[in-house]
Amino acid sequence: MSKRVITLCYRKIIRPNSVLPWDKLVHEDSYMEFKMQAQNFSTGTTYTSYAELTRYIPDAQKLSAMVTPSVSGYVQQLGGIIPDMLNILGRRFLKIKSYQFEIINSDINERDKHVVAIIFFSEPMLWHDTVDNYLLVSPYHAEQEIIEGEEILTDLFQLQPYLNIHAIKNLA
Amino acid sequence: MERKNFLKSLMIGAASGTALIACKKESTSSTDTTTGTTTTTTGGASSSNNCTVAPDETEGPFPTHTPASYVRSDITDGRTGYKLTSKITVVNHNNNCNALSGLLVDIWHCDAEGNYSEYGGSSMQSTNYTAVHFLRGRQTTDTTGTVTFIGIFPGWYSGRATHIHVHVYSASGTSLKVTQIAFPEGTGTSLAAVAGYSKGMTGYTYNKNDGVFSDDTAGIEIATVTGSTTDGFALSINLSVAA
Repeated sequence: MSKRVITLCYRKIIRPNSVLPWDKLVHEDSYMEFKMQAQNFSTGTTYTSYAELTRYIPDAQKLSAMVTPSVSGYVQQLGGIIPDMLNILGRRFLKIKSYQFEIINSDINERDKHVVAIIFFSEPMLWHDTVDNYLLVSPYHAEQEIIEGEEILTDLFQLQPYLNIHAIKNLA
Repeated sequence: MERKNFLKSLMIGAASGTALIACKKESTSSTDTTTGTTTTTTGGASSSNNCTVAPDETEGPFPTHTPASYVRSDITDGRTGYKLTSKITVVNHNNNCNALSGLLVDIWHCDAEGNYSEYGGSSMQSTNYTAVHFLRGRQTTDTTGTVTFIGIFPGWYSGRATHIHVHVYSASGTSLKVTQIAFPEGTGTSLAAVAGYSKGMTGYTYNKNDGVFSDDTAGIEIATVTGSTTDGFALSINLSVAA
């Protein structure tokens, strides 16, 4: 089977009823920041929801980016590893290359409407094979030559909801 | 031989792994049908109604409260220009102009060339850890109602007088005041000393022609600015808000 380089993307959704400490902190602080920043657009209007603001005030599209600095410290606390996504041994193993913060829904007056996502993009990985329902992958470094017969360390993991193969490249 | 054992253990792992995921899928769908809300159950570390499947690894590092990266006194972020220390004091219009402590004050302004920072990743881009939002900052007012920021003297851009944006919020984040700070003009002022950096002052919009400041005939929005290009400048202003 020809080797392929893949990048994974995990869209971690954070809701008002999230129970994990990290999720709760992200929810709380991103809501506070949303509330603060949204008032830059809502003042003088009756709009309070993210949907209304982005629909009627084009400039409010910037809100996701304006709220991002409220979660960047929490992403750094993850130590460079994508949360929740486990290999077959039950360990987190996907390295974060970049991330994107997304406001899904929110409202200046209703904390319970605040739902956000952090989309994590992984470092590129070599997809060697598929074993049962599992993908066999190893970290890929473009500059590293693959030496025939040499042992490399691999991870087995299963695709699951909210985890996508975001990009693929076939190696010659 | 060892390899065979290893493969065997993998297969056991695979079987239990599948069972685990099947269990999680069930819990998701039951949540969906009963409450109509979706609950994140991906990956085993997230939660679904009191049913949290933790990863099989040592807990931690424990998340700690981290303020938004706007929260900082030094907003320079490597921008070059003449140093400017800004002291903004917020007083209560509804209470004898007494100082208001514990308020959140956001400021932002352009760099020497007249450009604003983006926020680090637009809606279409992902961002990396080191994304900067230069010359944007947030501080909490102290017992004297004052916040202090260290940055550079702002440049200017076409159509506007030199200015600093200010947004004052209550401790809980409710907007109390959105305003802008103007700079004094004329011979001997900081504005004349900086002289628009490398851009010069040709085409500059002075306060009296500025869309925002032209109605401020009393000069309430104009800060006091002292100092020099060698020692840096110090700006101070009182902002009165109704709180």
